[in-house]
Amino acid sequence: MGRKREILEDDKPKKGPGRKTKKQPAPSFKALLGDEGPKKLSHKQKQRQRKREEKKAEKASAGAKRKATPTPNSRPSKKPKLLFDSDGDDDENLRSSDSEEEEMQDEFSEDDVLSDSESEALEKESGKKAKKNEKKAANAATPKAKKQQEKGNAKTRKQEKMAAPESDDEEEDEKSDSDSDDEDESDEEMDVEKASKKLLKKQKQDESLAQDELMLNIKSQEKFTLPSGQEIEKEDILDLVILSECSLLVLLFVTRVWGKRDRVVNASNSRSGGRGISHIRHILADFSERREEGRSRKEYLDQLCRDLCARFNYNEFLMERLLGLFPNEIMDFLEANEYPRPVTIRTNTLKTRRRDLGPMLIDRGVNVEPMARWSGVGLTVFDTKVPLGATPEYLGGHYMLQGGASFLPVMALAPQERERVLDMCAAPGGKSSYIAALMKNTGLLWSNDANRERCKAIVSNLHRLGVINSLVTNYDGRAMKKVFHSFDRVLLDAPCSGTGVISKDEAVKINKDEKDILRCSHLQKELLLSAIDCCNANSKTGGYIVYSTCSIMVEENEWVIDYALKKRNVKIVPCGLDFGKEGFVNFEQHRFHPSLRLTRRFYPHTHNLDGFFVAKLQKFSNKIPGEENKTDQVEENGEESAKSENKTDQAEENGEDSAKSGDAESKGKKAANSDTKKQAKQKSTDKDSETSKSSSPDKNKAKKNATPDKKNFQSGKKVAGKLKKPGFLPKKGFKNKKKGN
Amino acid sequence: MRRATPMVIIVLWLRGVRRPIFPCGQAKNMRPLTQEETNTFFEKLSKYIGENIKLLIDRQDGSYCFRLHKDRVYYMSEEQLKIGSSAAGDTLLSIGSCFGKFTKSGKFHLHVTALDYLAPYAKHKVWLKPSAEQQFLYGHHIMKSGLGRLTEDTEQYQGVIVYNMNDLALGFGVAAKSTLACRNCDPMTIVVFHQADTGQYIRDEDTLT
Amino acid sequence: MADEKQSLVDTVLSQTSNDQQLKTTNVENEELIELDEGNLLAVNENKIDTKGFKKRGENVLLSLTRDATQVLFNSLWKLPESKTWLPREKPVPKKKAPTKWEEYAKGKGILNKKKSRMVWDEQSQQYKPRWGYNRANDDTKDWVIEVPDNADPYEDQFEKRKTAKKERVAKNELQRLRNIARTQKKKVPGIGLAPTEQPSKDHLSKALAVAHKSTASIGKFTDRLPKEKPSKFTGKKRKFEPSIGNLGTEKEKQLKVLDSVSKKIPTINVTKAANRVLRQDEEKRAEDKKSKKTPKKMKGRKATLGLGKPGRQGGGNKKTRGKRKR
Repeated sequence: MGRKREILEDDKPKKGPGRKTKKQPAPSFKALLGDEGPKKLSHKQKQRQRKREEKKAEKASAGAKRKATPTPNSRPSKKPKLLFDSDGDDDENLRSSDSEEEEMQDEFSEDDVLSDSESEALEKESGKKAKKNEKKAANAATPKAKKQQEKGNAKTRKQEKMAAPESDDEEEDEKSDSDSDDEDESDEEMDVEKASKKLLKKQKQDESLAQDELMLNIKSQEKFTLPSGQEIEKEDILDLVILSECSLLVLLFVTRVWGKRDRVVNASNSRSGGRGISHIRHILADFSERREEGRSRKEYLDQLCRDLCARFNYNEFLMERLLGLFPNEIMDFLEANEYPRPVTIRTNTLKTRRRDLGPMLIDRGVNVEPMARWSGVGLTVFDTKVPLGATPEYLGGHYMLQGGASFLPVMALAPQERERVLDMCAAPGGKSSYIAALMKNTGLLWSNDANRERCKAIVSNLHRLGVINSLVTNYDGRAMKKVFHSFDRVLLDAPCSGTGVISKDEAVKINKDEKDILRCSHLQKELLLSAIDCCNANSKTGGYIVYSTCSIMVEENEWVIDYALKKRNVKIVPCGLDFGKEGFVNFEQHRFHPSLRLTRRFYPHTHNLDGFFVAKLQKFSNKIPGEENKTDQVEENGEESAKSENKTDQAEENGEDSAKSGDAESKGKKAANSDTKKQAKQKSTDKDSETSKSSSPDKNKAKKNATPDKKNFQSGKKVAGKLKKPGFLPKKGFKNKKKGN
Repeated sequence: MRRATPMVIIVLWLRGVRRPIFPCGQAKNMRPLTQEETNTFFEKLSKYIGENIKLLIDRQDGSYCFRLHKDRVYYMSEEQLKIGSSAAGDTLLSIGSCFGKFTKSGKFHLHVTALDYLAPYAKHKVWLKPSAEQQFLYGHHIMKSGLGRLTEDTEQYQGVIVYNMNDLALGFGVAAKSTLACRNCDPMTIVVFHQADTGQYIRDEDTLT
Repeated sequence: MADEKQSLVDTVLSQTSNDQQLKTTNVENEELIELDEGNLLAVNENKIDTKGFKKRGENVLLSLTRDATQVLFNSLWKLPESKTWLPREKPVPKKKAPTKWEEYAKGKGILNKKKSRMVWDEQSQQYKPRWGYNRANDDTKDWVIEVPDNADPYEDQFEKRKTAKKERVAKNELQRLRNIARTQKKKVPGIGLAPTEQPSKDHLSKALAVAHKSTASIGKFTDRLPKEKPSKFTGKKRKFEPSIGNLGTEKEKQLKVLDSVSKKIPTINVTKAANRVLRQDEEKRAEDKKSKKTPKKMKGRKATLGLGKPGRQGGGNKKTRGKRKR
């Protein structure tokens, strides 16, 4: 028995690794990669460590005593140390050097990420840092150099000791170790002290030199110059050379190289870090005044784009787009993407109220506060002691974990009681359940999603939240109009590239390109048309479609809406959201319908929500422009009256079209002869070739070169023809009825 | 007859286009419960809500009905039923609220999704101490030690709804001991057998519906 | 005449034998020769075997030349790819319909394992075919069979094996025929009930259903038990009510079912009632036995009993209830 396997066409024995091999993890060559984590200590090593620590504590207390009563205590403590000191100390040194290497890397990345102000602050502190680095280098050097040059070793240690007052905790550990070592060599102390004093002097000199040079660097860069292509390459190479040099010289000329290295970091900082970016932005703000002679704006922009990409890890395509969208606020936007949005939950008004839920959650140890004033059901979570997705209240369906932005489309949809509402891409059911809550569990809520696995989440969530008026299906959204198409409201939260939610999914930064965006856009267009077709314009209360995406790309938002305006009898109405930014009407090469101003955009940096786009459309006729003419013809085959009817239809339609399209477009154009011109214009404005055809109802032409696209509409149009009777059951329902009886 | 054939063919063709072909050869559309199924279903339900089932069938605020779809029993309004039947069988994943499922051997299992209907009409209830709440939500039986309160007169093997002390329904189960027997058993004995809990919304998301 | 003919044949034969063997159009090292068909040029740039050249002289060159020429001509005479698509005489044979087992195996993901044809035969200590003539481990060839434990000693074990084998063959044949019938959409004749080792419950009810029907009147007048359930194996398909039917009648039907269900729920709690009666008896007896003085404890309890509160299980107040049981 057991479960049946899904029957596949070509059943072949499975090839490749079996279960056993899968279990084994892939081999990792940690030693080769050199990124060992913290070393695991063996039992004995642990013991030693413990002893060492005990000793340290002892010594600390002893040291305190020593200050009161000098030296004689120090002798006896030394002896047991000798027993294990040799390898134990070695070992520790190794470890510490490891960790310090990591730290070094960290510092690199920190330098990259730090914002302008911080980096400047850093530079001020760099003197301190130089010291630190020195010390680290010394530590790194010790294990290897130890055997060969005891003396030198002692010197460096001594030097460490001198530098100790500014050091961190871990360095103190080492210090105490070295302390004890020093005591071994107390005979030589005088020589060593002299040497170390010399060294210290030299070091100070170096530091001051470095500082001077640093200041010089800053001064020279006060007037920012763009690096040429060669320069950029050169600098890269230089970096490499110096870094490799570093690794070699570390052993020999510790101090000097570290001074140098620091300077290198600063230099590279000025190019790819915050300073460069801010400089370019400063220049771009008043380009004609501040620019360098002979440099075009594009060069600066390119450089800015490159710098931003390097600093925030975006790919260049996306960064260019973002720069286009936010020429001024780009930094705010990018910074906002680095931090997650606040966790918000939505009260399920079907089961509880916000003022009941809040205290209950606070009792559980969840720190919540009501969300912004525009939402009456949202709660912002500041911190929590319990997993929010597993409290009994959550399981009992009292709230839903949901980003603040996803409230917006539902609020724009404003579903009424006893309506039929379709949520076309519903998974995982957050918005659907909000719709049901607004409908107070009356009427019908049809939640659809194309992904069967994700549909399960819808079912589970809706049941948990006590939604009883729902219907969950797994259709491709594009086929929905054939299933049922008499909805009062339709919500289309289209699948998108996710450029608005970069903070949630970092991968978007890298893996999106032009093709992805256009693919999304194409799907969205199809889905939106299907959503519009599903909606019933004759509905008494509704006839609204809300389109939303979590993308901020114009191609996925305004462009799609503009396309729908041309293809269907819909108009844009205000969203009913009193905040958010207006949608674009002109963007780069695009020229959209002026009413797109009514759509709303939300950004992470301005609203502290995920990047989001919401548009609300109203359908004013069930006819499909450019289609009903043909249906008429098909139906009234050969009848002459058809022609005249068509003409009137066409005239009407043109009227509508011109009313729809912008004032500038419609001005001074007679409906009858505007067709061709408009077509041409549209072609020029709209790069997508799809739109060119059916936008103008030139029916003969359209009929002659009927494309597959057209055919689709033809099949859809039959449906539209039937739609004239409002509130009917679709054909299949009837058929079932008849057949079943 | 001959004239009729082309029409028939067209209709068949259209149907073929619209409907996916099921691998088993049978359409999996909704249907009402048969007499026997209704019987077993109501028997199970009456263990929890007694004769209050009547309130589910005979409602004042519209006509509601039970439908069987893929071995699961759904409870829905008439409008939902009519519109929902336009969706093809295997694409329809859920309609209204799911009460439970029939096993292959013809028994009926209530699911936690029915809790919203069971809780308000429940005859017998059990309240859990906060310490035992989490245990129950992980699918464990209820021990005497975790028992806060219990409805009087609960018999053995009576269906009970489980609440926490804030009167939040957590699930349901079957009384392992009558109220009387509960009084003098030791704290580690099982008092209520676990049947369903809201934790299943997370644990069994895939299999629940 | 005959002589002349004979001589002619002889001369031809001798000539051909003299001509050495005519070489075939195949050339051994074809790939060594480069061709340029446009110029009718064939080039072999490889080194000539010097030893062979010393021995055989120009013959080597000649043979190489012949090869090259042959390759050139071969390529010249090669036909280009055909362009027109020629129809098949017969349609492509259809895929054989899967047998019931194959379908099942596919559903379960069971894959065929190739078994070797030859099997090691313990007895003869050599490899023999798995089946067929002279097969390995052939149990029909046994000249003696041990009578298994707790088997009937007078049973003929040879005969038993033989019949078992025949059964198996027959079953296989039937299975084959049924598979064919199934693929041709013909009705498969029922075989009734094949005997099984451990008949199940279903098996029994099936047998019963068959027995019921096995009369001249196809079971019309067969007697039934008073409360016998109709058999599951009637061969009829279940029919359901339409999904979108009359909801009113459906509701009524359900209410009726509900009535019958609720009838099963006893209105009187038997254990509870029995407990109460027992306790009352006990108390009476206690009262009779004891003196007229009732202890203080009992007073409260008596009063409650007198009132006959139905909701209370134990009677008495909360404090005393637990104690009494011990």
